[in-house]
Amino acid sequence: MGLNDTLALGAGTGHGLLLHPGLPAPDTSSAHRRIPGNKGIWVGITCVFVEFAVLFTVYFIARAHFPEAFEAGHTQLSLMAGTAITMLLLTSSLFIALSVNAIRSGDRRTSIAWLIGGLMLALGYPLVKYLEFRWNLAHGIRGDSGIFFTVYYYLTLTHLAHGFWGILGILWVLTRNIVGAYDASEYSGLEALASYWHVTDMIWLIIFSLCYVLV
Amino acid sequence: MRDRSGPTNGISIVGAWLVLVLLLLASIGAGQLFHGAPWLPFAIAAIVWVKGTLIARYFIEANHAHPFIQWALRVFIAFVPAFLLLTAWLGERLARWTTL
Repeated sequence: MGLNDTLALGAGTGHGLLLHPGLPAPDTSSAHRRIPGNKGIWVGITCVFVEFAVLFTVYFIARAHFPEAFEAGHTQLSLMAGTAITMLLLTSSLFIALSVNAIRSGDRRTSIAWLIGGLMLALGYPLVKYLEFRWNLAHGIRGDSGIFFTVYYYLTLTHLAHGFWGILGILWVLTRNIVGAYDASEYSGLEALASYWHVTDMIWLIIFSLCYVLV
Repeated sequence: MRDRSGPTNGISIVGAWLVLVLLLLASIGAGQLFHGAPWLPFAIAAIVWVKGTLIARYFIEANHAHPFIQWALRVFIAFVPAFLLLTAWLGERLARWTTL
């Protein structure tokens, strides 16, 4: 049985659990207790969940009070900008997941290449957002243009702030990866960044549906 | 030779990304073609839930994660679809409940 027949679980912290087909099933209670990245990042991600849960609650309460404003508001936004940001974040997330996959296999050069690709796409997010806000202002869409736009600006600006944190995180793990801080047995920092970036991506998908598509 | 398998392999990650792109296009199409349809919030709620679940399953590898992480993701992913359904069904009542 070669290593390719081995399913590795629990890698990333140097305490991977190797499962060989044919061996008894593992104790699922221990196999399912893996922490992607590290505990610190999940404390932060849980805080982000609470933060956006509050912001989304405000969105729905505002929408319940002013359905007409939300109905009329979203048609004025640039669907093209929203779609472009969604594609950038989704694909950046894919590249960073592939970077984790590559370092897990011990292929550091490929991992760095995927990270650089992910960073390039991630940098497109603030750029498109800047162009979108310029387009908005040129069309008279400001934070005080109505309840829908107030909600839209606070949701997207808060998300953009998290996007900046993620980009700084990508730069940090890219630097550490280049200097050889990660390998197949220890890549928890890279995986922590990946978890944060995937959650940022997930939250954008929700904002996109709420502000650009639905109503 | 190094082990190239892991909790999630590259092919399944790319497959999940492709499904996410298709769902993105489906949600844009549904929003444009069926704008105002009473069932649209239900369809978008389902799409949002599936997208979140795909990211959790294939990108974050939540199915191998600690139960707290699994539950935090499940609750957050279900939060917006549940609120979408609540607003679609009980929008006026929600407005009354939240009037100061």
